[in-house]
Amino acid sequence: MDLKTEVSTRCNDNNQGKVERGSSTPILQRECHGQISHLAIDIGGSLIKLVYFPRDSDGSSKDDKCSTSRERNSISNGDINSSIFGERLRFAKFETSKIGDCIEFIRSKQLHLGRCLHQECPSGEKTIIKATGGGAFKFADLFNEKLGVSLEKEEEMQCLVAGANFLLKTVQQEAFTYADGQKEFMQIDHNDLFPYLLVNIGSGVSMIKVDGDGKFERVSGTSVGGGTFLGLGRLLTKCKSFDELLELSHQGNNRVIDMLVGDIYGGQDYSKIGLASTAIASSFGKAISEDRELEEYKPEDITRSLLRMISNNVGQISYLNALRYGLKRIFFGGFFIRGHTYTMDTISVAVKFWSKGEAQAMFLQHEGFIGALGAFTGYKKHDHEQDQFVQRCSSKVSCADNNLSGGTIKSS
Amino acid sequence: MAGPTEDYQYVLGSNDISHREEETTGKDKALDKLVGAGAEESQGVSAGVTERDMATSVGGSIHRSSSRPQLDLSKAEIQGNFEERDPTILLPNQSDDISHLALDIGGSLIKLVYFSRHEDRSNDDDKRKRTTKQRLGITNGSRRSYPILGGRLHFVKFETSKINECLDFIYSKQLHCGGMDSLGWDSESPPRDNAVIKKATGGGAYKFADLFKERLGVSLDKEDEMDCLVAGANFLLKAIRHEAFTHMEGQKEFVLIDHNDLFPYLLVNIGSGVSMIKVDGDGKFERVSGTNVGGGTYWGLGRLLTKCKSFDELLELSQRGDNRTIDMLVGDIYGGMDYSKIGLSASTIASSFGKAISEKKELQDYRPEDISLSLLRMISYNIGQISYLNALRFGLKRIFFGGFFIRGHAYTMDTISFAVHFWSKGEAQAMFLRHEGFLGALGAFMSYEKHGLDDLRVHQLVERFPMGAPYTGGKIHGPPLADLNEKISWMEKFVQKGTEITAPVPMAKPGTTGLGGFEVPSSKGGVLRSDASALNIGVLHLVPTLDVFPLLADPKLYEPNTVDLSDHSELEYWFTVLLEHLSDLVDKAVASEGGTDDAKRRGDAFARAFSAHLARLMEEPAAYGKLGLANLLELREECLREFQFVDAYRSIKQRENEASLAVLPDLLMELDNMSEETRLLTLIEGVLAANIFDWGSRACVDLYHKGTIIEIYRMSRNKMQRPWRVDDFDVFKERMLGSKGKRPHPHKRALLFVDNSGADIVLGMLPLARELLRRGTEVVLVANSLPALNDVTAMELPDIVAEAAKHCDILRRAAEAGGLIVDAMNNSLDGLKEKSPSVPLMVVENGCGSPCIDLRQVSSELATAAKDADLIILEGMGRALHTNLNARFKCDALKLAMVKNQRLAEKLIKGKIYDCVCRYEPAS
Repeated sequence: MDLKTEVSTRCNDNNQGKVERGSSTPILQRECHGQISHLAIDIGGSLIKLVYFPRDSDGSSKDDKCSTSRERNSISNGDINSSIFGERLRFAKFETSKIGDCIEFIRSKQLHLGRCLHQECPSGEKTIIKATGGGAFKFADLFNEKLGVSLEKEEEMQCLVAGANFLLKTVQQEAFTYADGQKEFMQIDHNDLFPYLLVNIGSGVSMIKVDGDGKFERVSGTSVGGGTFLGLGRLLTKCKSFDELLELSHQGNNRVIDMLVGDIYGGQDYSKIGLASTAIASSFGKAISEDRELEEYKPEDITRSLLRMISNNVGQISYLNALRYGLKRIFFGGFFIRGHTYTMDTISVAVKFWSKGEAQAMFLQHEGFIGALGAFTGYKKHDHEQDQFVQRCSSKVSCADNNLSGGTIKSS
Repeated sequence: MAGPTEDYQYVLGSNDISHREEETTGKDKALDKLVGAGAEESQGVSAGVTERDMATSVGGSIHRSSSRPQLDLSKAEIQGNFEERDPTILLPNQSDDISHLALDIGGSLIKLVYFSRHEDRSNDDDKRKRTTKQRLGITNGSRRSYPILGGRLHFVKFETSKINECLDFIYSKQLHCGGMDSLGWDSESPPRDNAVIKKATGGGAYKFADLFKERLGVSLDKEDEMDCLVAGANFLLKAIRHEAFTHMEGQKEFVLIDHNDLFPYLLVNIGSGVSMIKVDGDGKFERVSGTNVGGGTYWGLGRLLTKCKSFDELLELSQRGDNRTIDMLVGDIYGGMDYSKIGLSASTIASSFGKAISEKKELQDYRPEDISLSLLRMISYNIGQISYLNALRFGLKRIFFGGFFIRGHAYTMDTISFAVHFWSKGEAQAMFLRHEGFLGALGAFMSYEKHGLDDLRVHQLVERFPMGAPYTGGKIHGPPLADLNEKISWMEKFVQKGTEITAPVPMAKPGTTGLGGFEVPSSKGGVLRSDASALNIGVLHLVPTLDVFPLLADPKLYEPNTVDLSDHSELEYWFTVLLEHLSDLVDKAVASEGGTDDAKRRGDAFARAFSAHLARLMEEPAAYGKLGLANLLELREECLREFQFVDAYRSIKQRENEASLAVLPDLLMELDNMSEETRLLTLIEGVLAANIFDWGSRACVDLYHKGTIIEIYRMSRNKMQRPWRVDDFDVFKERMLGSKGKRPHPHKRALLFVDNSGADIVLGMLPLARELLRRGTEVVLVANSLPALNDVTAMELPDIVAEAAKHCDILRRAAEAGGLIVDAMNNSLDGLKEKSPSVPLMVVENGCGSPCIDLRQVSSELATAAKDADLIILEGMGRALHTNLNARFKCDALKLAMVKNQRLAEKLIKGKIYDCVCRYEPAS
């Protein structure tokens, strides 16, 4: 495969999608020959994530217009980072339960067709789309039936790692820390990137120790993740979506529901073991009170409590695993976070608390698309190409400022 | 409060009326009103039934406890209720029966540990017993020289939200009065008129301090929570033999903890929240971690999601749940396939509650059972995982889980164990504690100065399971049971309610919880055994006079039981045997108490209680610790005593002793005409033959209808044909008589562990003792301290010996030398000091009241007597077969028994019923 890719970074200040933060979109330009898809897909338990090049590179505006309503729909599910210049990687997501919408989207964008020379494709030869996540297995038949494409399954962990490595090496402002409402971008020294712990918080949580490109091990995980938040949240509040839950949690006060150290100690700190009176002793521990029923709790408070419980737990288990393998850096990705400040804050606090400030939680701008991106990079076959590409890219990017785009890097 | 507890209260409520009508006097009723009003006043009562019951039984207990002779209660009540609100004045004369109390007031539960000095007042033989001991000349008689007092530790819990129940309980038991000072333990205690100080831990010790002060006049002295947890755990792990256990795949296995290799370990206390403490030694520890996802989370979320009213109800629901409807499994994501590359099977939970995201289903569309199970798995697993990661971090191999979240719940323990096992790849082990919820309270108790528990050893603690401990005391508590009368009423009501007492939860064979992996149980419901209905915590008896038998070759390796009831068929067999024997036993017991209505009522209660114990153990054999046949047999005796059947076989024993003593002179004459060698054989035959008289054996009881004692004895002896099934007689003979003319030196002192009354002791063991005495060996007859079946007791022996000595000079002189006869004849101790040319014959009590004997816990008298002994003779099934057949001793040991049970014969000696065992083992 002859793939020439051009990468640049762009701060997406005027993005059209619903993006809660200044998100930068990597723009890949490439020359392509042969039957290749411009789509990679990550089908998780709750969400489907797409990474794609628009089908018609110079007709993107027209394309956008055609499918505005469709896109609006998907926007409500998540966000689309659209960009303005040239050939850009785009990102989209759908709820897995609405896989029909996703398939419709792909069809409307003609993403299921071979990329360049599709008119010349030998008929009957199926387009192959890189896919990862459990749904790549589960929905393989559906894709074949509806779109006539076969999904080439890329191993999930491998995709996560490839995606994260790609982002960390390629995109200038990808990783950041979050503390006290302050987001701070981290300069990652590419020579000192490994090893790190990658925590992907999807429906469940995977914790992967990454030692290098393609060198990794899934060391742990927990079933208490994004799915738990959404599942419990839905049962407890009747909220319909993840974002709605997150939105609610902004206005909540978890002290109504959580049992704090102070609740047990009559308002005092348990100073001997360093627990402040405001520390949560028991999540939902106050809900044992017999005089209040579910309906009498504010959904805002419930979601806040839930979010803290899960974030805190993920943060703690992540730290313990990082500690176990002597990893100083923990990167959190996956769709649970969604750039949600309170979530990031809680995870950061948990890591900081348990590590006594030794370890730091870091987050990724493209948190939700790591797997899909990793699957996308699977189109490139040779590792050394990627290395080369990355290094040249990084030297390019390091001297570029946020607004700079373009800059062509040949990888072959 | 709901579930079982509610049932219990309901029972009490509904039956209280009828019961009171038949039993209570007008005075009682007035009294109830008084106390009830008092309680209401101070509590601001809201809910009817519960509070009324509480008040009622508070009144009842105060009245009924007047059966304790030293309390002048009625007078005190008036003072307490009318004049002074200060309850310390309520019982001015109760210092004899004072209790100590420590509390652990957590976010959800209040745990109490209290100590009661408890002489067995029900036993009116106390005086005789004491005189007997004085006769022995071995007893130093100075109990007070022991560093700790004998007594009992009780464990009780309440819901924190119902703190008034707790206060009432403390009040009714008078636990708020006095303290260590009145026992002379803590001279620094403030004088009585100041507020009494009680140790307390947990956050509530701060929160409710004022309430305790106001209601009970008690000042809570706050002890640090972590200090208490660690002290409690260390105590339990060191002092209680079967405290720690593993729980994998539904199988409970006790772990023997080497006290020298206990530290370091990780202690995980799962209360409302979770604390993880690295323990390096006594008082040396660090709280290294914790999680806010704990018991409070389970209960809180569970309540919001299911409307359950109590923790236990929620737990019970989980038993019937199927979490696959709620949790997203790997298979759900991977279309039913395993994610084998990273070792996750299709049934692994990928995301807890991950399936509840469907937009089509609302909360009410999910089964509460499924929700509860999903929640339980999520939290248990999470705790297991974080605990393991922390253990790993500090290189700790052992993780002990405590706290009230677990509640002995099999599924919870399996899930935690699985998590630890899975993540550690089998390297680390999750262990649980039987007293899981009481670590903090116990630790607070130990923070009293000179609490005495430090000095306790494993062998000085005996755990008993009285009614009310496994069923009420262990559960979240209702009103206290004050005395036997109330206990029986409670039993009667409980049984009326239905079958709960015999089958608290659906039974399940072990191993069906199906946690093969991080897997979902294969079958949907009813297979998850819950121990939530009973906590399996008994009352700890502190018996400082107990010792380890000093002649055990290796006390660490010693295991008394030869029949291990963890084998289910074995268990079933013995349960059947005991149940079949039960009605006969009840008849005898009732007759022994004069057959009165009261005796009949107690007999019924005993039968119910014992059946309930059997049912409980059948359901979960390890419920009371490691279960051997000896434990079961002892449980029966304890249960009899609990319902004040002091000696069910009293009259039978007497009759048989008399009959046997009548023919003893003839037997002795017969023996004296034999050669030494023949005599020795005849004596051993005689012991074996006489051992046929055993009321514990069904087969033998049937025999008794066929002839007189002496006929049976002679028949039995005539049927003795060597070789016996186990026959070491020749080796024994050589040790006794020597060979080739070489005369061995006689043993210095022999301990004879005797078995039954009647022919067994009189025609079997006494003649053997006489032979040893004749050869210059001191003889110590070791008999039960308390009656068990028709076993002869240490109290009865002096009279029997005295009677026998009337016809035998050897016995007379030896008994005189041992101080038995002089005393028996003229009640004077002067004779003790006379020098006698004969070696002495003595009697000591063994410290137990069971047909079997656990040589790790014997009386200090026996331990003292054993120091000079170089021969041990264990006689009878209970002491030589059911227990101790495999025991090894530092000195020569002879084990003699006739096997009166077909199954036991097959199992132990591959023989048949009435086969004999004569095993001789020279000193090892």
